[in-house]
Amino acid sequence: MGDVPTGPRPADSPIIVTRDLHKHFGDVRALAGVDLSVPPGITGLVGANGAGKTTLIRLLLGLTAPTSGDVAVFGTPVSRDAAGLRARIGYMPEGSCLPRDQTAADFVAYAAELAGIPPAEARRRASETLFLVGLHDERFRYLGDFSTGMQQRVKLAQSIVHDPRLVLLDEPASGLDPAGRDQMLEVIDRFRGFGMNVLFSSHLLDDIEQTCDWVVMLDGGRLLRSAPLDPPADGTAVSVEVFGDPLPLVAALTAAGVEVTHAGRVVTAVSPTEDVFVAVRDALAASGSSVRAMGTDLRSLEDVFMAATRESNG
Amino acid sequence: MADTPTNGQDSAVILDRGYRSYHGPRTGRRGAMAAIVKEGYRRVLGLRRKAKRKIFPWTLIALALGSAAVLVAIEWVSSTLPISLDTSDLFPRYAGYFDFISNVALLFAAFTGPQLLVPDRTQGVLNVYFSRPLGVRDYLVAKGATFAAVILSFWLVPQLILHLGYAALSPAGFLSYLGETTDILWKVPAAALVYFTMHGSLAFLVASFVKRVGAAAAGFVAVLLGLNLVALLFQETGLAPGARWTALLALEQHPRFVRDWIFELEASITIPAQAGFDPEASFMVVIGCAVISVLLVGWRYRRLT
Repeated sequence: MGDVPTGPRPADSPIIVTRDLHKHFGDVRALAGVDLSVPPGITGLVGANGAGKTTLIRLLLGLTAPTSGDVAVFGTPVSRDAAGLRARIGYMPEGSCLPRDQTAADFVAYAAELAGIPPAEARRRASETLFLVGLHDERFRYLGDFSTGMQQRVKLAQSIVHDPRLVLLDEPASGLDPAGRDQMLEVIDRFRGFGMNVLFSSHLLDDIEQTCDWVVMLDGGRLLRSAPLDPPADGTAVSVEVFGDPLPLVAALTAAGVEVTHAGRVVTAVSPTEDVFVAVRDALAASGSSVRAMGTDLRSLEDVFMAATRESNG
Repeated sequence: MADTPTNGQDSAVILDRGYRSYHGPRTGRRGAMAAIVKEGYRRVLGLRRKAKRKIFPWTLIALALGSAAVLVAIEWVSSTLPISLDTSDLFPRYAGYFDFISNVALLFAAFTGPQLLVPDRTQGVLNVYFSRPLGVRDYLVAKGATFAAVILSFWLVPQLILHLGYAALSPAGFLSYLGETTDILWKVPAAALVYFTMHGSLAFLVASFVKRVGAAAAGFVAVLLGLNLVALLFQETGLAPGARWTALLALEQHPRFVRDWIFELEASITIPAQAGFDPEASFMVVIGCAVISVLLVGWRYRRLT
């Protein structure tokens, strides 16, 4: 673990660091050379099914060992003290994790005791946490009688009942209707105020955009992007419709290092780091193209993800 | 306007209790394991569960405790009769009591082992356990400790009722009886431990691989009775060379053979005894089964996680 920083850490130092992280399951490559540095706050972990999101979460919990590479949480290598780290981490699995024959209050208190909270305090915290997720009145009902939305909230409650510093949420809005999703995201958004850091895995990019400060994109086990969500991920795009052939403008923009797509005579230029208007102006002048219409639009996270995937796939 | 609050406090409501950080002590792995034991006890006894979950375990417990109470009552009635009657020949005492409730105890073990392991696995609760500061070994040790505590209690509490009842009714007096029967204090727990080791290890092994509690319980009973049948067939027919060794497959009968050895009784009619084996051989089979079960259950859970 020589490459991963250890020891006391300032408040704004990364909470998760990985170096050249690989994980293979037989011939299947789940993660390939992931270098990551995630700052405090709420981070979205984006990727299609099979991108490696759950594998990364399991590596962070120390539930599986990397094939090679290093992973550290709060500056501590996971391989050195996985159990100690898990006492400070909360985890909400994607699939079912609730015993049907227990009440919500009993189960969440039990989850707290499993994390080392003494029994009396565990019961108190279970009650408060269920209040926080909106299940205070239902806390003595059996989990087998709960709807999907209520079960998701119990799963969320058990992940934070022991006051973790980092919460790993694997598809927390999965299976919820739009109203339930909004409520779930609202609760997660409130974690900031509790001093919790969140790594929030989802394939629903809208959820990530709505909640997160930072985004990590994975595709096929590779890291596509790890960057703040706003403003670079929402980088400005300028669309220009030209008279005549658009290719000289495309060539001029490409030569200027701007990301370009075109459909018919509409050329769209995106540059998260440069002033895209200046680049378009210069390219128009250089190519001699005539402008028929021009406008700006904001790129969604989905556009960014798709562009990064295309770029990664060559 | 009597209801109109005169100050802000009268109309105050709590809209959000917020979230408190926790800065108190943490009990660590030991606390987590203690929580598993406590929760396991609740599950197998149906405590803090719906009423229907209590029916089966408490029926079996009532049978075990009730039978001990009935035996003590018979002893009391016979002590009031004008004639002297030696009830120890007519009704089971300590060693015999193991036979008396062995079927009930077998059913209890068949139900308890799967209850402890199967729901955690099939309902995905292992994800919660192993996201806490617990390892597979901690989990299995805690579950095994729960199983041992439950099963040994099932065997030993009725025996305690018998012992105290007989002592209270003894013509020699309570303390004298206890003083004369001190060997019971180790023989009964030792025999109960042998029964638990055999039944418990097999019940856990079956429960580790079967996905439904009912199927695991039925499978456990079927394995024990089926192996008895196979061993008996080979012994009766002598079909195969070395058929004598198949007597060791009668797993259900080994604890009884070892119990007779512990109580220094004449061996009961068991398949291993009839095949000419010593009780030491039965004891080794019990230990062997436990070791194999521990290894297989550990392997199974390592693969699962």
